[in-house]
Amino acid sequence: MREQLLALLEEIRPDVEFEKEKKLIDESILDSFDIISIVQEMNDTFDVEIDVDDLEPDNFNTVDAMIELIEKLQAEG
Amino acid sequence: MSIVSLQFILFVLAVVLVYYLVPKKIRWIVLLTGSYVFYWLNSKWLVFVLLATSLVTYLFGLLLQWTNDRNREYLSSHPELTRDEKKTLKEKQKKKSRRILSAGILLILGALLFLKYYNFFGDNLNSLFFSLGTNWSVPYLNLLLPLGISFYTLQAISYLVDIYRGKVQADRNPAKFLLFMSFFPQIIQGPIPRYKQLANQLYEGHSFDYQRLCFGAQLMLWGFIKKLVIAERLAIPVNYLFENYTSYTGPILFFAVALYGLQVYTDFSGGMDIARGVAQMLGIELELNFKQPYYASSIEDFWRRWHITMGSWMKDYIFYPLSLSKAFTNLSRKSRKILGQFVGKRLPAFLAMFIVYFCVGFWHGANWKYVAYGVWNGTFIMISILLEDVYVKARKLCRIDEKTVTWRAFRILRTFTIVSVGRFFSRANDLPTALAMFGRTFTNWRNISFLTNGTLLKLGLNDANWIILALFLILLMYVDSKHEKGISFREVFARQHLIFRWAIYIAAILLVLIFGIYGPEYNAASFIYEQF
Repeated sequence: MREQLLALLEEIRPDVEFEKEKKLIDESILDSFDIISIVQEMNDTFDVEIDVDDLEPDNFNTVDAMIELIEKLQAEG
Repeated sequence: MSIVSLQFILFVLAVVLVYYLVPKKIRWIVLLTGSYVFYWLNSKWLVFVLLATSLVTYLFGLLLQWTNDRNREYLSSHPELTRDEKKTLKEKQKKKSRRILSAGILLILGALLFLKYYNFFGDNLNSLFFSLGTNWSVPYLNLLLPLGISFYTLQAISYLVDIYRGKVQADRNPAKFLLFMSFFPQIIQGPIPRYKQLANQLYEGHSFDYQRLCFGAQLMLWGFIKKLVIAERLAIPVNYLFENYTSYTGPILFFAVALYGLQVYTDFSGGMDIARGVAQMLGIELELNFKQPYYASSIEDFWRRWHITMGSWMKDYIFYPLSLSKAFTNLSRKSRKILGQFVGKRLPAFLAMFIVYFCVGFWHGANWKYVAYGVWNGTFIMISILLEDVYVKARKLCRIDEKTVTWRAFRILRTFTIVSVGRFFSRANDLPTALAMFGRTFTNWRNISFLTNGTLLKLGLNDANWIILALFLILLMYVDSKHEKGISFREVFARQHLIFRWAIYIAAILLVLIFGIYGPEYNAASFIYEQF
C-alpha cells in the first residue's frame, strides 16, 4: 500500500519529498487542489470513500497518517 | 457607536474593568451583557434578528446533537448487526441528520437572503417581467440590514455543520451560546470564528495579565493608525477619482484603483487589529484575518493571506463538500473518459472553485458588480493552474532563477496589479461603471504629464497630506515586511525600558490625534466591510 500511495502522491506533486515531510497541511505544502486530486486518487486506488468529514489536517499531514486513514476506512467497509 | 470613536474606547475600558473585577466564573456574563449593549447601541431593535438567529441555531444544534447521540447509541447497543447492515443504517441516519441540518441552514440563510438580497432579486425579476411585456412586479421593501449579519450567518452555519460532522458538541447553555454569536469586538466585520476555536475562550474567565493587556492596547492603536491616518486619508482621492472617472484615463485610473486596494486593506485590517486588540485585552485570541496580503506572489497566495477566515470558511463548507460530493465525483469520472486525464481531473475542482468565487463575490453585496469581482479572481486562479506546466517550461526556457529578488518582486507586482484592477468591480457604483473604468484604464498610457502638471494635487489632498500618506504607507510596508519575516514589534517593545515604551505609546496616540482624519465630532466614517 505504501508504494502505491507514494506513487500516487508523487504523480500529483513530483516536487514534494513525501516521506520526509511531517506537516504537509499545516505548512501549506499541499493546497486544496492537491488535496482534492489526492482524495480522488486514493478513493479510486484503494476502493474507499473519503468523506469531507475526513478532511482533517491530522489525516493528511504525513504519509503514515494517510495510510492510517485508508486502513481505517477499509476496515469500516 | 463606531469602533474608532472615543465612546468605543470608553466602552472597552469599562468592559475590561468590570471583566477583571467580577469573579472568574461569571466573567462571561460581563462579555454577554457588553456584547448585547454594544449591539443595541448600534442597531436598536434589529438586535432581535440576531437573537432569533442565535436561538434558531442553538435549537438546531441541540437537535443535531441529540440525533447524533441517539444514532451512535443505537449502533453500539446492537453489536449483532453485520457490516453491511451497519453501513446501510449509517447511511439512513446520515440522511436524517442531513435533513435537519438543511432545515437549520435554510432558516438561518433565509434571514440573510431575504434581508440582504430580496430587493436585488426583485429588481432583476422586475426587469425580466418588463422585458417579457407582463404587468407583474415584485414590490420594493424598505429593509434594514442587521449589523454583521453576513458574518454571523456564516458563523452559525459553520457551527451547525461542525456538529453534523461530529467535530464539536452542541452547546447546552443558551446564554453562553448567545455570547458566542454576539461577541462584540468581532460582531461587526469578523474575523469569522469557529466554535471550536472561540467558544471556550469566551466562557472561561481569564486572569488579568498586564503584558497581554498592553499587547492588546498596542494592536488596537496600530489599528487606529491604519484606519484613521491611512485609510481615511486614502479615501479622499479615491472617492474623488471614482466620482469623476470620466475626466481621467490610463495611469491615473490605475492609480485610483491601486489606492483603493490600499484603502480597503488598511480599513479592513485596521478594523481587525482593533477587534483582535480588544479581545486580547480580555484574554481572548481571535483568529488572524490578514497575513501581509500585498506580499503575495500569486492570486491564490493573495487569497490565502486576505480575509483568511472567510477563505477557510468557503474552503471547508463549500469547496470541499462540493468537490467531494457524489455528483462531482461522478462528473470527474465521466469527464476523465471524455476529456482526458488532465482536464477531467481538474474539472470538478474548477467548477467547485468557480462556485466558491461566485459566492465570495455575491456575499460582498447584492449587486452584479460583486459577482464580477469574484469571477475575476476565480478566473485568474483557474488560468494559473491550467497553465502551470506552460509557465514552468517558459521559466526554464528563459532561464529564470526563481530565487532572485527581482523575480519575487516581479511576481508581487504582477499580483498587486491583477488584484487592484479587479477592485474596479467592487468599488465602482455598478457593473457598467466598473467596465467603463476598466476600459479607460487601458488607454492613454503614453501621456505621463500628470506627474508634473499638478494633477495629483487636485484630488483632494494637498502636498503635506500626500507626504504624510506616503510616509505612513512606507511605515506600513516596513511593518508588514518585518511581520513577513516573523518579527513581532510588540515583543521587541516589551523588551525595552519603561520610558522607551511609554514614549512609543504617547507618540502613537499623538500620531492618531494629529494625523487622523475625522468627521463631525471626531467620528470616522464607517468601515467598508461593515456594509457587507
